[in-house]
Formats: sequence, structure tokens, C-alpha cells
Amino acid sequence: MSSFFNRMRSGAGTSNSANILPSKKDPNAPQLNPLERHLLDAGPLRQDGSDKFWGFENFGNTCYANSILQCLYYSVPFRQQVINYPKHTPTELVINSPTGQERLHINTTSLPPNHPSLTYAKLMNRQTTQNGSARNPGGPLATPKPEDKEHPDFKKKVAHTRGPTIAMGYENTQAYGMSESLFTCLKDIFEALYVHESRVGVVSPYRFLEVLKKDNEMFRSAMHQDAHEFLNLLLNDVVENVEIHSKKLEEEKNMNGAVVKDDFEQALARAMPKATTNTGWVHELFEGTLTSETKCLTCENVSQRDEAFLDLSVDLDEHTSVTSCLRKFSEEEMLCERNKFHCDNCGGLQEAEKRMKIKRLPKILALHLKRFKYTEDLQRLQKLFHRVVYPYHLRLFNTTDDAEDPDRLYELYAVVVHIGGGPYHGHYVSIIKTEDRGWLLFDDEMVEPVDKNYVQNFFGDRPGLACAYVLFYQETTVEAVKKEQDAESRVLTPKAITETPKEGAGLGIRTNGLANSVHPVKSASSPLHGDETVKDLDRAVTEPTPATAHPAQANGDFTALPAIQPVSAAPAEELKSKKERQKEDKERRTAAKQQAKEDEQAERERRKTLELKRREIVKKQDAETKAAIAASKASKVEEDRRLANENGTTIPTPTLAGGLSRFKSTSKSFKKPKFLSGASREASKDEAVVESPENEALPTSSQGANEVPDKGAESALNKAKHRFSGLNGLKKRRSNLML
Amino acid sequence: MFVLPPAPRYPNATTTTGTNGPNMQNPTLEMSNVLTHPTGTEYQLSVGEGTYSLQDSLLLATPPPHHQDAPIVSSNPLATTPTPPRVGVKISICVTTPRRRPPALYRTDTAGSTRSNLGTYSIKENEKESRSSHEASSDGYGSNTARTPVFGEDNHLLTPSLGKEGLKRKKPKTNLVKSNSQFISRVILNDQLQKRLQDHRPEGIFIFANIDRAYQWLDQSSPTPSRSQPLMKILFAKANVLCHDINHFTKAPNHIDVVTGANTGDIVWFEAFSQKYVRINKGNIISTSPISEIRWLPGSENLFLASHMDGTLIVYDKEREDAAFVPETANGFPTSPSNGDQISSPLPDTPSSTTTTTNTTPLHINKSVNSKNQKSNPVASWKLSNHCTTAFAFSPDSRHLAVVSEDGSLRIINYLTESLTDLYPSYYGAFICVCWSPDGKYVLTGGQDDLVSICSLHERRIIARCQGHHSWVTAVAFDPWRCDGRNYRFGSVGEDRRLLLWDFNIGMLRRPKVASLRTGGADNRASVSSQGRQGALGRTRTESQVTAGRLRSNSSLEGGGADGEDLAGLVEHEVESRTVTAELPPVMVS
Repeated sequence: MSSFFNRMRSGAGTSNSANILPSKKDPNAPQLNPLERHLLDAGPLRQDGSDKFWGFENFGNTCYANSILQCLYYSVPFRQQVINYPKHTPTELVINSPTGQERLHINTTSLPPNHPSLTYAKLMNRQTTQNGSARNPGGPLATPKPEDKEHPDFKKKVAHTRGPTIAMGYENTQAYGMSESLFTCLKDIFEALYVHESRVGVVSPYRFLEVLKKDNEMFRSAMHQDAHEFLNLLLNDVVENVEIHSKKLEEEKNMNGAVVKDDFEQALARAMPKATTNTGWVHELFEGTLTSETKCLTCENVSQRDEAFLDLSVDLDEHTSVTSCLRKFSEEEMLCERNKFHCDNCGGLQEAEKRMKIKRLPKILALHLKRFKYTEDLQRLQKLFHRVVYPYHLRLFNTTDDAEDPDRLYELYAVVVHIGGGPYHGHYVSIIKTEDRGWLLFDDEMVEPVDKNYVQNFFGDRPGLACAYVLFYQETTVEAVKKEQDAESRVLTPKAITETPKEGAGLGIRTNGLANSVHPVKSASSPLHGDETVKDLDRAVTEPTPATAHPAQANGDFTALPAIQPVSAAPAEELKSKKERQKEDKERRTAAKQQAKEDEQAERERRKTLELKRREIVKKQDAETKAAIAASKASKVEEDRRLANENGTTIPTPTLAGGLSRFKSTSKSFKKPKFLSGASREASKDEAVVESPENEALPTSSQGANEVPDKGAESALNKAKHRFSGLNGLKKRRSNLML
Repeated sequence: MFVLPPAPRYPNATTTTGTNGPNMQNPTLEMSNVLTHPTGTEYQLSVGEGTYSLQDSLLLATPPPHHQDAPIVSSNPLATTPTPPRVGVKISICVTTPRRRPPALYRTDTAGSTRSNLGTYSIKENEKESRSSHEASSDGYGSNTARTPVFGEDNHLLTPSLGKEGLKRKKPKTNLVKSNSQFISRVILNDQLQKRLQDHRPEGIFIFANIDRAYQWLDQSSPTPSRSQPLMKILFAKANVLCHDINHFTKAPNHIDVVTGANTGDIVWFEAFSQKYVRINKGNIISTSPISEIRWLPGSENLFLASHMDGTLIVYDKEREDAAFVPETANGFPTSPSNGDQISSPLPDTPSSTTTTTNTTPLHINKSVNSKNQKSNPVASWKLSNHCTTAFAFSPDSRHLAVVSEDGSLRIINYLTESLTDLYPSYYGAFICVCWSPDGKYVLTGGQDDLVSICSLHERRIIARCQGHHSWVTAVAFDPWRCDGRNYRFGSVGEDRRLLLWDFNIGMLRRPKVASLRTGGADNRASVSSQGRQGALGRTRTESQVTAGRLRSNSSLEGGGADGEDLAGLVEHEVESRTVTAELPPVMVS
């Protein structure tokens, strides 16, 4: 009960979390959850939002949104841009509504882990009456066994009940100077997380979902939705709103000469000129450019067309890697039979070879693995459980020859996992690499630290139906990777030390010392609760078998010690001992040195020439390619318009039976802003797509997918992937195309 | 209670499997190995030299879970409890008295190539058994006129006490079958074990294979019906064997030393014919970390090297007792002060401790082979990084070690001097496998970039990346019968379940000059090492060294050693852009 009062007190404004530490003597004190344990050593709260690890409440099948929102929050540049565009809202404007009322209580803290309301019976009984069963319909999670405290449903309940909870029911559009949209809702959430004083908690993003459902018919149902589709929609919405807003700002500027704002905002705008001028940031982050090269087999004329993408959707094959899927994405394909290419050079439909390569690499590469595939014989979408492996680091092989920085290194930082047997039901979670807290599993309200190896549990072939669905890779450098690996070593080392002294004599002291050093930090900064059992628990998990204690290890961190001692001792010894010998060998050595120098010179020259030659060859190749490109560009200018149309009609027909396998332009049309009602969206459709051949094709496709898929049918099938086509028919499918 | 079933079949009662998702195929538990002989063109590979056809396809029986294991209660695919590492089946191949060895003078032999298809071990299985001389560890390649130094020979504490038992191989003590160890669940001997062993032709192939918690000893030369059934099957209680190796130095028609490393960190050395064993690192007294790779030191009767997944390499002696291990350097325990003298006299390479001089050197010697304390295991222990080492391989000249790890680095270590000489990065992602060319000039790696990379030690760079796999490359091996010093044949297998064969030729890779230079020997080598900014290195891995060359490289090394600046002795290579690295297509794709 004492803790309960503590909670009340802290809720009343004293954020002194030292008060609410559970009494250490309490034998029934429940353990901290793994995340809290993980964060025990956290320092003071940071201002950049990087140390907020909040769950998101699930309102019944909204896990698709939760998983994507988490991924975006931990996309550092994206988060920062959302916060800073149009400008960083001052804390008081986040906390208080325009009327001056406090709507966000940033100093609420979570209930202590042994709070009386957190018993299993109370939570789980409530669950059955609430939305619990609707939460993961068809998911693989069986009904929880009695008192299964490890069951995710229970953990989520606990997390939700403990709080603190941010109820995102308000909007702050006035402060942003924008009209309400998904972007402003996203910004609301991010800003609330930024200013909140707790590291952990649960966000209830219902305003966000309301807006989403209001603007997007397809997300209105309580059905299971597609996370990738949502990601695409959200990014497009952000792009759109940012563009609209910046246009508005410009117009205002042009009209008045000065922006009409209140004083404070003006000051702020001046203080952050960068934030307001930088409007293309979503493009900069997620957008890359694909070049489709089409070579007419009759006249050998190569035509090129660039299109932007926000993410890449790749087809999957059994037992492949992401690298291979990307290669296959860019493989040459034949345009023939019903899918011939209209060549402007020789006029008329011709057989052609087409390939799509990446010309500009995005900073953040969102890879969508097309696990939901339309199967002809079943007449519906099916989930593919192919084993597709993904590495922690990636480079792209499928770049054009003139691509800038084709060897760019990417690192995996977020994985959206779909759990479930099919596309119409299941559950999404995300596993995300945070800036300095390693990998975390975000499962709705629950956040748990996981092992790095855990990330690679979702190749698709494991029991449990959990497969990686969207992979987020971000640009990095070899140096950064090295640094991080070193840092990992440093992190690992102290852990190893705290683990080792398990039974040794000096152990008790050490543990105490550690614990003592931990507590002050924690109480000063975070509302987490800890007790002494933590250390033991931690060890029990990570250490496989009891080891005999090594007192020396307890004293000195052997692994952490850089090899300084041997350095100071050994070489000196060795040099001394070698003195005589060195004298003897001196002449020989000098000769050898001379020789070595000469050789070095020779070798260097040899290398130089080699390198030069290599470069020459590369240059030559480059020149050739450039010449080819230039040639094709020249011809491109005149045929551009028609070509664009034709390409619309010649989107590849898959040679495979599935009919879905090669639709490659997921996000290519994102550039044309989409107004979210179906009709206007069609109006704004890419002119390349709305061409007569396609309009003819589409009805065919809506009739049935049994026919040989032409362009229209193909897109139809592809869109069928998004599960809505079956119900919503042609219009829906087309609007999907716009996503 | 577990009822002992008649070998080699399990009673059906024990076949309760773990719970799995509805749509996922359950891992079917075969009760006994299944041998098939599929025929047809899809089981044939046609290459320039002819057609390879599949002879035997042996499906190993997956053992049922141990009865003491708690059944998997939670089917939660998101369960965050860490699971012990697992690997697929690996094989060790042993021919006790090979009829033919791979060509020392590089002839081409088609008949032999089917066998070399078998796996990574074809190179090693043919090592010369020079038992008479204890120190020579010649591998049968190149003109090995020079005596190869033996690991730890300068530490007299490590000299095995010869003479007591003469050349008779020492055998372990504990009987596998009668053991009441908690560690070994059961050992099943073949009914006709003795008869089958008598019938075994000396040139016949023994295969050792791991699958989950079972470890099988198979005879590939047995007649068909019994061939599929193991001579012996060891079932461990908890441990899964992750790696194993056969001592090709001590093998004899009635003696095979096998060492296995498990995911629990346990090591078992057993002798196959007598079915006796010894446990090493028992109770994880030395290391708690799982073992990713284990190999006998070339030419050593007793020593083997195990790579633990925490990034340490540990040399164990099968004859030594274990003792709780304390890193000596951290303990203020000096590495033996006089070892500079000891080492430098017989070895052409610089003393080991030079490499530890820089803090950045990622080879941290926890215990040197030259340590004065050699009463117990480990003999030596080196920490490479905190990232899991995935595989390693000894160079044919028994001087170097190529180690690959999950941080995407290939490390070349001179294990005689305990120094790290080169560090090559992967294009991206972790490395998974590594092997040396039969002449020791090239190192192949395969990894998560779907590539096989060829690294030339002579040029100290990646000379080609081989693109052809559709997924991660899990094993690479040269075909020693089709390597002649100019042309090389190697094979690779990957997660895409394909076997690819590759040919490369030094001229093919746009480096004509280098090819002609290579025959140069000593001068050339010296130039390379100095070019690498470090005379301190004994780049003695080119095998065809002449004695004169040794002298010179020796001297240049000494010079470097005295030169304070060159002490670092490590070249960290950078990732080469793919626009400058030659690409190699496979010759054969299956």
C-alpha cells in the first residue's frame, strides 16, 4: 500500500521517484520487467527522444499501425524531422492546450510492479470481457493457460495498467499552423513522447487512428490490415502535408512579404530557419530512384525512364536471401506476347528487354517482402512461408552504372514481423534497434529487450508463423559499423564481469557495489523501480550454466583491459634479450632493409600501375556506359511523352504462373499527391497509368484472374495482395495503385 | 523410464515431437538413416572434365528430444528466451590409409574428383601421416623441404613426453558405452560392429556426422543395406554437437581420434575403435561459450583448437587436465619473459608479443603458448573480438590460421607467433565459412553477402568476388585434384541449397603481371611484406619457399621488429568497391 501512496504523491506533481522505490525488504516484491531492468543504468533523461521506450495501445487490430509507428519513431532522422517541421513546438505548448489547460501530464509515473491491481486474475478477467479476443484473431497465440505470467497478453495488460499512459486524444494543429492530418497526429505523438518524463509507458494513439479511419475508407473496418500498405499511406501523407504546408508558407511570404504569425512563432521561425526551409526531407530520407531500361529487340534502341520509390517490394523465392531478391528484382525480363513494348524508334509494338535498376539510393531503404501472394488455384491470397534470410548489413547490387555511391552500406535497424497463417488475420510486432539500447521487441503495449540474434528468428521457416515482412535498412558507413562493434564489445564486457562473480568470495561486495551505484542514478532520473533481486535475475537469464568463480575476474575486468600490461613489459624484455642477436644481425638487417625498401618501391610501382590500369578499365567502362546513356537520352527527349504512356502499358507480365511475381513499382506513383478520396485520386493519377490500353485491361481483370495476366490483370492481382480487391472491386484496386 | 531400444531403431513410443504451428511442416523424426540412390539427369552435374553423378543420398535420422527435456510448452514465436545455437549437419571424413593423395605436383585426375565432391575435408583427409618424425606436419603439398615449426615447440613444457609409450597412440580412458555420465544419454553400437570393422577396406571412407544431439559414425564402404546404419551413434543428453574433427596425424587402421565441440561448450575427445572418451572443459571450467569450430592442430597428436562463440580461440591438449582458467595477462602474470629468445631462434617469424603492443590490435592473448604455466588446459587462449567466430581453417603450411567471424572480418593469424597479420572485411554481413587453397596462396570465404570471396595472401587483397548463390554461402572447399598452381577449382554450397563449382585462373582475373611474379619466391615475398608497411611480418605462407628466401625474410623481419613503428604488424584492409574487384561466374550450377 505504501507504494500506492507513493504513486499518488508522484502523480500529484512530485516527480521524485526515489520516494516510490518499493521497499527492499519486501519478500513479495515482484521483479522489474525486463525493459526496466535493461534501463536501470540509464543516465538523466535526454532531450532528443532517443531514450523513450513506449508501447502503443492496441485498439483491436491496430497492431499494423503500432508496429509501423514504432519503426518510424526509431528512424532517427525521420523522428527529428517530424519534430522539427515546421518547427519544434515548445514544451508548454505541447503540454497545455491553447486554452491553457494542462492536457498532458508529463510527470506521471508507472505503478510499481507489485501494485495490487496488477494481479493476474484482475487483469486477465477483464481481458475476456474487453477486446482481448478480438486482438489477435486467428493468431498463433493459444488461450493463455491459468496464471501464465509470461503470456504476452498478460504482460500487455500489466504494461497498460501500470502506465504511465499518454492518451493522444488532443490535437495541436494550431501550434503547427497546419490543418489536421496524419502528419500532425504523428507529430503530436512524437512530441508528447519527447516531453514526457518517463522512459516507459503506453501511448494510446486514438486520435491518430480516428484521422486515419476518417480519411481512408479501407482502414475503417476492424479487420486486420496490411502494415506495408499503412506505411506507404503514412509516408505519402507526410510528404503531401509537408508540401502543402510549405507551399502555403511560401505563398504567404510572397503575398505579404512577411509571414503573418504571432510574435512568438515568428521568433521561433527565425531561430530555426533550417527547419522551415527543408521541406523535401521525406524524399531525402526514403526516396530513391529506379531507372527502367527498356531495350527494343528490333531496333536495339534503349530507352530509359526514371521513377521514384519510397520503398521496394520484392518477390520472394524459396530459400533465398534479401540480396538475391533484390538482384532478381533487377533481372532482365522479356516484354513479349500480350505485353509487348511500344517502341517509338521503330514504331509499333515490339518485343523488348526491360530491367529496373536503382539509380539513386535512398538513405532509408524500406524493403517490403511480398509474403502475401495470390494463388490462382485457391483464388485468394496466401502467405508465403519461404525462408528468406536477411543480413544485418546490406549493399545493393542492382544499381545503375552511373549511380552515385553504388557501394553504399546499409544496416538493418527495424523489422516488422507478421505472425499468422494468412493475410487476413494475424498480428504485427516490430523489432527495432535503438540508438544505444540494443534491439527491442515492440509488441503493442509491451516493450522488451531482446538479444541481437533474436532479430534473425524470422526468416520464415520457423514454427510459429512469424515472418519478417518489412525490413528497414538505413545508410551507414564502415567506420560507424566498426565503432558500433567496438561499443558492443564494451557493453558486453562489463556484463560478463557482473555475471562472472557468481559464487566467489568477493562477489557479494561487488554486487552490492553495483547495485548501490545503480540506485542513485535511477532514482535521480527515472521513475523505474528496482530492488536487489535484479542482478540475480539478470544473471540467471544470460548465463547458461554455473561456472566456477574466478576471483581474478571479479577483481579485474580482463576482457576490457586493453593489452597495456603486456605492452609495457613484454617488448622491453624482448628487445633487451634480443640485443646481442640484433648486433649480430645488424649488417644483415641493414641489407635486408635496403632490399625491402627497394622491393617496396618496386611493389608500390607495380601496384600503382595495376591500380592505374584497373582505373583505366573502369573509366573506359564508365565512358562507354555514359556514352550509351547519353545516346539513349538524346533519343529519349522526343519520345518521352509517348514512352511514358507506353511504359504504363508494358509493365512486365510475369512469366510465372502466380501472376504477382514481378510487379515492381509499388511506390512509384507516390509523387503525384493523392487526395485521399477515391475519385480525386483517380483524377490525379499518373498520366502514365491512365491510358486507354489499361482502361481496357482493367475490366478484364476485374472479371477474373484466370486469364493470362496482362498489365491490368497483373496490377489487379498485385493489388489483390492488399486484400481489398476481392471486396471492393475495381475502384479500390485502382486507388491502391496510387499508394 | 527410457527403455533401451534395439539398435539402431528407436521405439515409436519416444517419437513425441515438439509443438509446432499448424501450417509449418513438422520436422519429421526419422527413426533410422535412409539411404537412397536417386538416378536421372537432375542428379548429375556436367562440368568440363566430365559428369558427376550422385551415388548415395543418405538422410540422417533426427533424434527425438531427450526425455529429460521439458516439452516445449510455449508456442509463442516471440518468446524472448534465448535458445542455444544450432547448426546443420557437418561431416568429417576419414580414410585411414588413403590409396592416393592429391597431387603434390598438380596433375589432373578425373577419377578422384567425385570424391573430392564430398566436402570440405578432402584436403585434409589426405594428409601425409609422417608418424615417425614427431615434428613434421607436412601436408603433402608443394615442395616442403623446409621444416615446419610446430606450435609451442619452444615451450619445453609442451613437449610431449615421448618414449614412454613409444609410438603407440594414447587412448582415452572412459568407456563410452558403459559410461553412466549425465552428459551422454546413450551410445548405440551396431550389432555387427566388429564384423563391419573387419570388413572395412583400409581405403574406405569413414564419415562422422552430427545431427542435433546425435553423433554418428558411418562407414561409406560397407555394402548397401548396412551402409546406411551407423557403426556407432552417440546420443548426448543436452548438448548438440556443433563441430567435430578427426586427427589425421594420428589416424591408423585401428585408431581414429575424434574431437567434438558442443553448444554447451563441452568438448569430447573419443577414440572410435575403442569407444573410449575423455571430456574436456567439463562443467565449462574453462569457457562457458558454445563452440563453433574445432580442429586438431596440423601435425599435432594432442593439441586442438576450438573457437568459442564469444570470440575466443582456445588451444586445448587432450592429455592435460582442465583447470579454472584465469587470463594471465590481466592477472599481472607476465608472458614468459625469455620467449623472445626462444621463439626467434627457430622461427622465421617475429616473437609473438610484438603484436600485443598496440591497444588496437584485436588479438588479445589471454594465455600465450609460451606461458610458464602449462600444467593444465588451456594451452593457449586468444581473444579476437566479442563477436562470434563462425569458422577457422589452418593453412596447408601449418603456420597460419584463417578465422572468420560474425562481424564480417577475415583474420589471418600466424598462430605460431600468436600474431594477427591481416584483417579483411566482407563486402557486407557476416562471414560463415573459410578455407585455404591447397597451396596456401588463397583463402576463400563465404558469407551473408551471398558471395564467395577469393583473397590472395600474396597480394594482400581480395582478388575476386564470386557471385552465383541465391543466398548465404555456408561452406567452401577447393578440389585439390583440380588445382595446379595456376588453375583452381573450388565448390561452394549455400542456404539456397545449391552446390556451385567454380574455376579460377590467375590470368583470368586481369592480373597478368602478378601471375608471372608469383613464381618469384623469396624476393617477391619480401617485397610484399614490406609493402604492407611492416617488415615485422613473416609472410611465409607461400609454401614454395627456398631456404635462401627464408633467410632473407628472416632478416628483414628482425629489422622490422626493432623498428618501433612497425610493431603493430597488422594490416586492416578496406572494403573494396565492387567496381574494382573482379567478378567470377560459376562454371557449374546445380
